[in-house]
Amino acid sequence: MMLALVSDFLASPVMMHSLPYALVIAVVTSSVSIMVLAHRLSFLTVGVSHASLAGLGIAALLGLPLLPGATVIATLIAMLLALMPHKQGISEDAGTGILFAGSMALGITLLSTAPASAVSLFGLLFGNILTISATESIWLWFLALLILLATFAASRAWWSIAFDPVTAAAGGLPVDGLRLLLYAVIALTAMLCVKLSGIVLTAGLMILPASCAWLWGRSLIHLWLLSLIFAVVGVLSGLLASYALDWPAGPTIVLALCTLFLASAGAAWTRKRWPSQPHP
Amino acid sequence: MAVDDAAQHRPTCGTSALSDTLLTIHDLRVEAGGRAILDGINLSVPKGHFLGIVGPNGAGKSTLINALVGLQRPDHGHIDLFGQCLKPFNRRQLLRHVGFLHQLHEQQPRLPVRVCDVVMMGLGAHLNPLVPMRRYRQRIIEALRLTDMEHAYAHDYRTLSGGQRQRVRLARALVRRPKLLLLDEPSAALDSKRQEKLYLLLRRLCDEQGMGVIMVDHDIAAISSHVDSVACLNRRIHFHASRGEPIPDHVWQRMYGEHIQLMAHDAACIGCTPAEHS
Repeated sequence: MMLALVSDFLASPVMMHSLPYALVIAVVTSSVSIMVLAHRLSFLTVGVSHASLAGLGIAALLGLPLLPGATVIATLIAMLLALMPHKQGISEDAGTGILFAGSMALGITLLSTAPASAVSLFGLLFGNILTISATESIWLWFLALLILLATFAASRAWWSIAFDPVTAAAGGLPVDGLRLLLYAVIALTAMLCVKLSGIVLTAGLMILPASCAWLWGRSLIHLWLLSLIFAVVGVLSGLLASYALDWPAGPTIVLALCTLFLASAGAAWTRKRWPSQPHP
Repeated sequence: MAVDDAAQHRPTCGTSALSDTLLTIHDLRVEAGGRAILDGINLSVPKGHFLGIVGPNGAGKSTLINALVGLQRPDHGHIDLFGQCLKPFNRRQLLRHVGFLHQLHEQQPRLPVRVCDVVMMGLGAHLNPLVPMRRYRQRIIEALRLTDMEHAYAHDYRTLSGGQRQRVRLARALVRRPKLLLLDEPSAALDSKRQEKLYLLLRRLCDEQGMGVIMVDHDIAAISSHVDSVACLNRRIHFHASRGEPIPDHVWQRMYGEHIQLMAHDAACIGCTPAEHS
């Protein structure tokens, strides 16, 4: 039965169209989510995904191409947030909360004045991985490549900063600049996820893969490999379940990742409580 | 020997480079909230010199160490490292030759890292994602061996005790083979035996490799037999004693207040190791 389901799934043109995007999401979010957890920026992903609403609103108002316009605006807002705590003495979570509330309100206000056909609010909130146009596709591939290149180049520096920011700065590392880059990469990843899985589910995708891996990982590369495996398994099984049960794709993927997290946490707890006996 | 009369000559930035001088501080002043944390600091550290800095809480000891690596910008004066004036544009290049161990660290580290990953972070090459760790394996083991932690090469850093973590962090500072080592209360998490081993290691690095060491410590009795000189700091440097030179009572009282009581430090002291009385 499972085999028949998989072969039906692979024969479905809609699902085969969405599969490459789902895999791109898995690779990108598994890489970025490690830094989200390492730098304690989970709340930022929520804030930035909501800032995308303001970005879309402004882009719709100015008649800019929606996705690129919104991406640039949301990234600028996130970078502003990276600078804000230092300049204004506002804590990072309060700053993110302000960003979250303000941009959501601005986005809804602006979008309510935009022509009804311009932006689908439901699509924004829950994503539309199954209906991606050719123009959007080019933009999404470009975005994914940019994120992966930046993450590859800066991952060790970000890791050092997360481990010990004072020593990293004392070694001459441009800590503020690298943090700004991290915020920009998180914003770009959030925008990629918003298009594919919606605002509501973006934080789930950007936090869960690394959270599953965190319980087992022992080093950066180890963590990344595990995070990648959890993300690919979660995304594929979620997409398959959404096809089988006729559930919306985005939420099903996040539910699959949540299930993986519970299984991972349960296994880690069991291992801690009943450690395996060493072989004689 | 370290001297504190550099201000009398007032050389311009970067011109104080005697070939064996690692660090020169000229008339340094650092302020915070309009109040001077450090004022009129003049010091120089030649190759192979071990300088201890002591002073009460809030004396500016950590601020001084932070200023030396550019984490705190001076409001007046300047710092020469290896004959070059420390500026934002050359900071990274100069700091390649400086090992640094700061006082603040996470009580409970969260990141899943192995001991070898932590030590690797001390190397500039670590930042290049194309450089594999195995290329530096021997160097990392050497650094861990110096702090007696080579057995923990692949251990999870989070599972180590506070003292073991401190030794790994020291190995991270040493792995770059620095010309100058800056340590802010390195012995805080160590027991007395480990403290003594640390001081002996630092002494050996100064003598054999010509490394310069500046170490902030609260326990002058413990370090006095190992260092070449001790600077008494409380916003200013109140006294700079060479090894064996006693620090006058009035200096202690100026630094710590009138209520301080001074006791002789001899073989009868409880908790001291024999080397401290030599």
